Amino acid sequence: MTTEQAIRARGVTKVFGAGGLEYHALRGIDVDVARGEFLMLAGPSGSGKTTLLSIVGCVLAATSGSVHLFGEDVTALAPSRLPDLRLRRIGFIFQGHNLIASLSARENVALVARMQGFGKQEAGRRAEALLDRVGLGDKVDNLPAQLSGGQRQRVAIARALAGEPPLVLADEPTAALDAQSGLGVTELLRELCREHGRTVVVVTHDSRIFHLADRMVHIEDGRIVEPLLEQAS
Amino acid sequence: MTASPALPRLARWRVLAELGLRMMLHDKAKLVGTLMGVIFAVVLGVQQLSILFGLLQKNTMFIDNSAADLWIVPPGTTTLQTGGLMSDGVLARARSTEGVALAEPLLFQTATLKKPSGGTEPVTLVGTSLPARLGGPWNFVAGGPEVLEQPDTVVFEDSEREKYGGLDVGSVRELAGQRVRVGGFTWGLLPFGPAYAFTELGHARDLTGVPADKMSFVLVKVRPGQDVDAVKARLAERIPELTVVTRSEYSRSVVITLLKEQLGASFATSTSFGLIIGFVIVALSMFSSVLDNLREFGTLKAIGCTNLDLALLLFCQAALYALAGSLIGLGLVGQMAEGIRGPKLVPIVPPVLLAIVPALMLVVCVVASTLALSRIRKLEPGMVFR
Repeated sequence: MTTEQAIRARGVTKVFGAGGLEYHALRGIDVDVARGEFLMLAGPSGSGKTTLLSIVGCVLAATSGSVHLFGEDVTALAPSRLPDLRLRRIGFIFQGHNLIASLSARENVALVARMQGFGKQEAGRRAEALLDRVGLGDKVDNLPAQLSGGQRQRVAIARALAGEPPLVLADEPTAALDAQSGLGVTELLRELCREHGRTVVVVTHDSRIFHLADRMVHIEDGRIVEPLLEQAS
Repeated sequence: MTASPALPRLARWRVLAELGLRMMLHDKAKLVGTLMGVIFAVVLGVQQLSILFGLLQKNTMFIDNSAADLWIVPPGTTTLQTGGLMSDGVLARARSTEGVALAEPLLFQTATLKKPSGGTEPVTLVGTSLPARLGGPWNFVAGGPEVLEQPDTVVFEDSEREKYGGLDVGSVRELAGQRVRVGGFTWGLLPFGPAYAFTELGHARDLTGVPADKMSFVLVKVRPGQDVDAVKARLAERIPELTVVTRSEYSRSVVITLLKEQLGASFATSTSFGLIIGFVIVALSMFSSVLDNLREFGTLKAIGCTNLDLALLLFCQAALYALAGSLIGLGLVGQMAEGIRGPKLVPIVPPVLLAIVPALMLVVCVVASTLALSRIRKLEPGMVFR
């Protein structure tokens, strides 16, 4: 493995259930993602793409195989070390934005930085700068309920970047958005991550945003079936 | 790649404590519901305890206000009530015991007061020896201790005046078949039995037919500088057929007896009931709050919170519920105690309860939050991707 690789997955399998009720979500995935690459994982529902994203994001354990993030075998880490690794190395963007309803946009974004140890003022300042960058500089005090779907997803992007993680994982970030908003949000994510050389993996089946990917990996029935599209980054 | 060094825990926990508070305040219905549970538990529990303490005080106030250091009582005596009589030989032995400054007889008998309209009312007639007046009346609202020096005079309980047929100072009534004059009134001297009525010892003996050499108790004051326990030991040695107790021992014995035989079980049940109901409400409210916000907790886990972090968040919420609920509840109990306060019952909220109640409610709320915590512990951070 070269140090240029952000992600290296080998022989990753995931089996849910046991006995006669086993379900093979992943059947031996091998994939490499270069540093700074904007990769999209595509495939039909139930194909295993979100399961792979969860394993790469260290929120789900693989049944077998290994995953290296920036050269470190995270599948060999003790479970107790994973929360801190997620906090410092991975930014998450969820399908349903998953903002904390009781916190304002600024506080949601600042939360990660504050948990990383930044003071309230500094975290707030960084959050405001990020919200300004995603076009929500005038909405910093709004609660999630006071924002549109597209605006919430922009807050979620700002939160994912607030801890300055080298890796950003996004699960269907455009699923709840209209075409215009979906495209805008993905373009924004790509732009912000590219500025800092962040590696991004986006799970999606939204063909309207495929063209933004550096590379696409297609998964079906728990296996990588073929690269659909490759673009120069 | 390696994870950065762990953060100072306190700074991180402060963030989570703030988040816990914000989540609490955001869901106002749950906030009110949970607080109501704590307040209910505090009000029911403390109100029951304050009434219990008030009732116990009514039954120990005579001993506590007797001005005697030691009591000589019949063997096996655990409460203050009319019982067997002792002879004046006891008195003589007590008075001649080293360290005794004063030993005075006290008569404690039930008598019947005849009402002008017909019918009778019982009173606990207390005969006190003058001029020492150990075990004499206190808390006067009319007249004073000196009225006992007037012949045929009795001091009655002010709150029972109407019940006794409209007594006034100077009224003449028939007590134990003899005419007596009302010399004054005390307030609030009502034990579980009939109210206390005080008169001079000789007069009390005349009214109740007790011989002049008989008495219910002997009350002792020790000489200044003398050790009460040492005098007690000497008296016990000289009067082995009776029991010598200090004032505080006697008072404690009354409390223990009442708790064991009459009050303890009933008040413990109602107080526990309040705590259990409060516990259930808090547990269900916090659990329901976690279920409602399961996705938020999952998100927090996904972005790097540990189970310990989230346990702290719940602990802070539980502590705030306990503190706020206790303060509101204690305030309400204080108001209720003032409302209930009367001659027959003065609810007592000992200052120590102000510290114990929030601490107890903290334990209740923290234990109640474990149900919610168990749900969070089982929560997989990967659920946020589903």
